[in-house]
Amino acid sequence: MNREEILDQIKTVIFDCFPDLRDADLREETVVNTETAIDSMGFILVICKLESLFGIKIPQRQWNKLSTLGDVADAVQKALQKK
Amino acid sequence: MRFQSFEEMIGFWAERKKSGPALIFDEGGRKSWTYEELLRHIRERAEALRAGGKSCIGILADGSRDCVVEIFAAVAAGLQVVMLDESAPEELLRRLIVYTDVDTLWGDDDLCEELSPALTAGVKDGAKKILFFTSGTTEQAKAVVLTEQSLCSSAYNGGEKLPLSPEDTLLCLLPLGHVFGFVCGLLWGLSCGAAVALGRGARHYGDDCAFFEPTAVSVVPLLLGFLLQRRLTNPGLKLVLVGAGDCPAALLGAAAAMGLRVSFGYGLTETSSGVAISVRGDPFAMEICPDDRITLAEDGEILIEAPTCIMQGYYKRPADTAAVLIDGVLHTGDLGRFDKEGKLHITGRKKDMLVLPDGTKLYLPEYEARLMKALGHTELAVILKNSRPVLVWSGEGEPEEILRRLRPVTEDLPRGQQLAGVLVVNDPLPRTATGKIKRWELQRKMEA
Repeated sequence: MNREEILDQIKTVIFDCFPDLRDADLREETVVNTETAIDSMGFILVICKLESLFGIKIPQRQWNKLSTLGDVADAVQKALQKK
Repeated sequence: MRFQSFEEMIGFWAERKKSGPALIFDEGGRKSWTYEELLRHIRERAEALRAGGKSCIGILADGSRDCVVEIFAAVAAGLQVVMLDESAPEELLRRLIVYTDVDTLWGDDDLCEELSPALTAGVKDGAKKILFFTSGTTEQAKAVVLTEQSLCSSAYNGGEKLPLSPEDTLLCLLPLGHVFGFVCGLLWGLSCGAAVALGRGARHYGDDCAFFEPTAVSVVPLLLGFLLQRRLTNPGLKLVLVGAGDCPAALLGAAAAMGLRVSFGYGLTETSSGVAISVRGDPFAMEICPDDRITLAEDGEILIEAPTCIMQGYYKRPADTAAVLIDGVLHTGDLGRFDKEGKLHITGRKKDMLVLPDGTKLYLPEYEARLMKALGHTELAVILKNSRPVLVWSGEGEPEEILRRLRPVTEDLPRGQQLAGVLVVNDPLPRTATGKIKRWELQRKMEA
């Protein structure tokens, strides 16, 4: 799966979890904490859905450092490579 | 029941509750230990710890069954116990290990190995001390010295106001490294002989209620909102204890509308958790716990006398201790009032501090100094907007650029403490004659 497909999947998960964001222009550089209305609990939900979707585990110690959607895509990509 | 030690508490129920569970956990399915089994594991582990010759253990608390055993066993073995947040940055953990004289670690093997160079020679007089950090593990967090006796007393106070029965199951979702999670998620249940279901971590916040089918749960406001909005509570859940942060009335109303009995608790790490709990009626009108005496200073500051529950002090910080603990009375920095029935209501905060919905605290002078240093700009302040920290920047500036420059200094913080936005204002920040920011005025102004 290439990076663009991973990003598309991330956006789909976000839109599923937060339908209000469907019209938002989510890009690699979008900062989750400030440019979306996703709070820390919402972020956990997104990460858990991604882990389940891709069959991966993103170490919990890294969660705080995932600032942008690009960071999330990096983490997913890295975890997929480890599979 | 009032207990003097964890071992006495668990032993008491081991004699009386032969078959029912003490701990319920996930081990390839729902499994449990009786009180007798729990006691046996604690004693075996305590024996090994005694033989190990260490004096101060840092627990990188993961909330697991083995973590619970390790905490109780270490106390029984006479070690000083330091509760650490395993998700905190490693550099910070190293500093805290040195500060609290940790000479051995328990937790994730890889993390323990990485942190091991920071281990110290230990401590001589640490027996029975359990150290919790105020507001979780942050840069300037102070280690609060509690004891198993003070924590048992706190659990007794909770159980007196909100009794659980041995047939109840209390779901422990909160981190054990936070005193509210430890007392209200674990000890409250064990002191009443209930079963304590050990939550499976953040990944399972959404399905732990369905998995463990609890009758009671302790949560922070953020977690309550998550559970209610997504209707993740189980039909058998009847009691929700909310604490460690300000809770919007709408959230408590929504819980009540779903048939849940909601109680709200007020307490501090310095008081071994709750000192006042709402029992019935208005969830914000709290009754004072049996061991505690609360009065108000002239300016409305809440003053607490609680000989059985109060901290011994801040670890190796006598000046900080002396500033808040005066003649046995804790000056909380919180503001309150009593209603006609003598119930306590929290009305605000005197301290330069924000309490976030996830139960953690932001010490504003420290936090803002960090932002000022990164930005080279002193006309700024942090307020809460929609329950999230937001930077107010006075002067010319572009919010996106400001956030970009701040990212390196905030990215290591817990997600809830990271800035959710920047508000640029033209007016100077409201200040007192001595130059301190008038936080209430600023908050009101920005809300308007």
